[in-house]
Amino acid sequence: MAVLTDRPAPVARRGDRGVRARVNRVLGYAVLIFFGLVFLYPFVIQLGNSLKTEPDAAANPLSPFPDPLTLAGFDRIFSGTNFPLWLGNSLLVTVLVTLGRVFFDSLAGYALARLRFRGRAGLFAAVIAVMAVPGVVLLIPKFLVLKQIGLYDSYAGLIVPLLADAAGVFIMKQFFESIPVSVEEAARIDGAGVFRTFWSVVLPMARPALITLTILSFQGSWNEFPHSLVSVQDPDLFTLPRGLADLVSGSLGKGTQYPLKLGAALLATIPVAVLFVIFQRYFVRGANEGADKG
Amino acid sequence: MTPRTFTRAALAGVAAVALLGSAACGSGFDDSAGDTKQSSGPASLQILIGSSGDAETKAVQEAAAKWASSSGNTATVTPAQDLTQQLGQALAGGTPPDVFYVDASRFADFASVGALEPYGDKVSNTDDFYESLRTAFTYDGKLYCAPKDFSTLALQINTDLWTKAGLTDADVPTTWDQLTAVSQKIKAKGQVALALGDTRDRIGAFLVQNGGWLMSKDGKQPTADTPENLQALQYVKSLLTNGYAKFPKQLDAGWSGEAFGKGKAVMTIEGNWIKGALQNDFPNVKYKVVPLPAGPKGQGTLSFTQCWGIAAKSKYKEQAIKFVEAMTAGEQQIAFAKAFGVMPSRQSVSGQYTSAFPADKPFIDGAAYAQGPVNAPKMDSVLRDLEAGLQGLATGDPKTILANFDKNAKAALGG
Amino acid sequence: MATDTLAAPGTTPAGPPRRRSGGGIRSNENLAGWLFVAPVIVILGLFLLLPILMALWVSLTDWNGQGSPFTGDVPFVGGDNYAQLFTDDGLARRDFMTAIRNNIYYVGIVVPVQTALALGLALVVNNRLLKGKGFFRSAFYFPSVTSSVAISVVFLFLFANSGAVNRLLALFGLDGPEWFADGRGVLHLLFGALGMNEPPAALTSGGPLGLTWWDWLSGPSVAMTSIICLVIWTTSGTFMLMYLAALQNVPVALDEASTLDGASRWQRFRYVTLPLIKPTTFLVVTLGLIGSWQVFDQVYVMSQGDPAKTTLTPAYLSYRTAFRDFDYGSGAAISFVLFLIIILLTLFQRWLMADRDGTRRGRWWRRRVPEGS
Repeated sequence: MAVLTDRPAPVARRGDRGVRARVNRVLGYAVLIFFGLVFLYPFVIQLGNSLKTEPDAAANPLSPFPDPLTLAGFDRIFSGTNFPLWLGNSLLVTVLVTLGRVFFDSLAGYALARLRFRGRAGLFAAVIAVMAVPGVVLLIPKFLVLKQIGLYDSYAGLIVPLLADAAGVFIMKQFFESIPVSVEEAARIDGAGVFRTFWSVVLPMARPALITLTILSFQGSWNEFPHSLVSVQDPDLFTLPRGLADLVSGSLGKGTQYPLKLGAALLATIPVAVLFVIFQRYFVRGANEGADKG
Repeated sequence: MTPRTFTRAALAGVAAVALLGSAACGSGFDDSAGDTKQSSGPASLQILIGSSGDAETKAVQEAAAKWASSSGNTATVTPAQDLTQQLGQALAGGTPPDVFYVDASRFADFASVGALEPYGDKVSNTDDFYESLRTAFTYDGKLYCAPKDFSTLALQINTDLWTKAGLTDADVPTTWDQLTAVSQKIKAKGQVALALGDTRDRIGAFLVQNGGWLMSKDGKQPTADTPENLQALQYVKSLLTNGYAKFPKQLDAGWSGEAFGKGKAVMTIEGNWIKGALQNDFPNVKYKVVPLPAGPKGQGTLSFTQCWGIAAKSKYKEQAIKFVEAMTAGEQQIAFAKAFGVMPSRQSVSGQYTSAFPADKPFIDGAAYAQGPVNAPKMDSVLRDLEAGLQGLATGDPKTILANFDKNAKAALGG
Repeated sequence: MATDTLAAPGTTPAGPPRRRSGGGIRSNENLAGWLFVAPVIVILGLFLLLPILMALWVSLTDWNGQGSPFTGDVPFVGGDNYAQLFTDDGLARRDFMTAIRNNIYYVGIVVPVQTALALGLALVVNNRLLKGKGFFRSAFYFPSVTSSVAISVVFLFLFANSGAVNRLLALFGLDGPEWFADGRGVLHLLFGALGMNEPPAALTSGGPLGLTWWDWLSGPSVAMTSIICLVIWTTSGTFMLMYLAALQNVPVALDEASTLDGASRWQRFRYVTLPLIKPTTFLVVTLGLIGSWQVFDQVYVMSQGDPAKTTLTPAYLSYRTAFRDFDYGSGAAISFVLFLIIILLTLFQRWLMADRDGTRRGRWWRRRVPEGS
């Protein structure tokens, strides 16, 4: 892959400023287009090959144009695999996890930002500490915990452990701290309780942060793979990434069947892609929120 | 993070854990050391199979449904994508399926930790099973489970490509030298001669043909590092380095059968399961099956077998045994043989099998000179290390691969 | 579903306010505060903190996957599992060290390349003279938001032996390798191209920690290289965004002043821009370091450690040892060592960042590690 060119190409030394600027611009576009291809062409290939016959995909992997064009791969995705089931499971898990995360993370974020209660500082420090825990090293004990509390191999096991995340709490806390206190105080004086103040006054003001968190949670839980590996083993509970992974590493008799696999992977990518196109700026914000604030 | 906040975080963490500790110690694991409570009456059996393909899945599902409806039980057959992993998680969780395939190579692992119900003496007419298969599933003198079926390796030849390469029936290789000679001719025509699985389960056959094997006859001592084995591996290495033989991955295939079916290799070494797979995925490929070429020390092949394991933790052992009984009955095994090309584990129906499938003679004949799998406990990581060595055989040193196996196996068996 | 029971505490304070005096609000807040954070504490405690302690416990036992690991029947073996990884000469150590070696090569390539690429892309996208930057920014970032499993499927296809990458190489007259079948290291291949096909005997005869010098030094295999490409491709976009944010904070006046001083473009970059975005570089590098020790999904989907163990990583090895070999103690020990490596890197990073931007408020995003990067 072309990862070697890491800088815009050097420019001519001296000379006419106009020429130099133009050369710069041409070079700039060249770099942009080159990397645009590097980053997007694999998706084009994926789409093209998912619509090919298997021999065609094997013979012309580089070409984006199917010849002949066939929906056989997609046909087999829906008739020959459990794809619809995986899709349903993924939707269920993602929606519940997203709702849960947004709600619980906002609650905790609000409490850490605004409510004065004993142990707050310690709790916040703990949240920060927990953010550093790499999930992938906890696969074995997570499996044990799920077993121990009887959630293993159930929808609850897929969902509950993902219902809160420290990073989300952090985002919400940071945001709530940026809202003027006076708003809440007015509500309090009018006699609203803590939860009412939070729910009907503060939360509506946190829309941008909520959207960011919703998107991060949706993307995160839609793509989540290792967790499903240790929380369920019943094929009826497989989510899309899990189903896809088993499709790929399936043993004897499955064969390569690239159009099918690429098609399934494509379908699994589409929801996030759509979300990305619509809510792009929230994705960007999600990726480096704090950078503007720092 | 300053030390102070870190301490505080740690304290908060410990507090949270202490808080949860009490909540977490609920149920979940079934620790009853004694027998699991048995339920009589209609059972709902969970059956996990490591299927060789859709044909096998369908056949087993149909057979199970037939048994269920005639016996008043229910039986759910689930094909595992990765049997070992799924079974491992299920056993660790104390909720294993009632009945599952157990491969001979992993049998000892399961038996040694008490995961299997030793029900062998409750199955009727066990003497009818081939003795070598019974041995494969005996641990500490007890027959643990009924052999499901067995299979052996043979050489498959794509007859169209064979003729195209200018070869005739007279060229079918019966010795290593002939194998080299035809490979050379095929390569000259720009074809790959042999698709060879990069595992001990294929390459191992060459060891047997040269009078060697990985383990001693009693299965207790590693015997990989011998001149016979070394010569065999050197021969396979020469096939690889000359480009006569290629691993499936080199041919963009998941397994040799796929490469063979796609016509990427003229010959392959696979077991009887290849029949069903080719029928399903590549119905137009014309091929024939011949015995593996003999090595300097005569003919040799490998045999594989699985049994119907019953979980020690199953609630329906009695019904599960009845289920296994039905699945291993002679007639049922013939039905399975017809569906996905395995050979019956019961000798009483072997005649019926050979008359139904005369083309499978090389597979059945292989039983006479076949070597079974390594079946000692704790050997899996050792064997996988061997596989890793074999994957690099084309550039690796055969002697090192074999010596490593002996060293690791000694540690695993001794410890 | 357990969601309902967990939601319950949060909804309690919604009832009518009982007291309104100052002290009342205070105590009310105390209760409300704990109720508000309770669901998060329960979930994070149960599925993040408790597991750490359990991993530690299991790593000290020989639990074989039968029954519960928390009874007296489970053999306690103390540090044996760790000794097998570090001191006992055997297969366990060789596998672990192979995984460590693979991951070191992986980190050694992924981190510098993705950092440089991210910075390069950010510089181009930040160029005021170019149009359509928004589109390209999105294009570069898009792979970061897709599923690692789905992307791995695509790359398996791209890197097939007669796949797109090899076809592309063929256009330039290059004969691409058999990406997922060839276990030789790239350095080995390079030397092979120079005619040195056999490793020098001095290097194969011995070496530290159960691997020969040749094992340590022959470089990542081509299979690992393709995983490295995949990861660089998916994570550079995220880091590019971080660099973009930093570059947008570089005062234009400063840049222009140095232009007037007659500084060349390179000089400006080297002596003005680079020092100004140094904190971001530290951030990107350390985040990369932390993330690259967690690579798992790609290995699981694409290669499962093959060929010849050259794509084995500690994260995957730990999973496999536990769930496939039923050696949960050893698996937990591997993951605990990995945990310590990552935590040390994280603490180092936080210490470094705290040092750098002293009084600035905490930045939550510096802890968000793109998975598998």
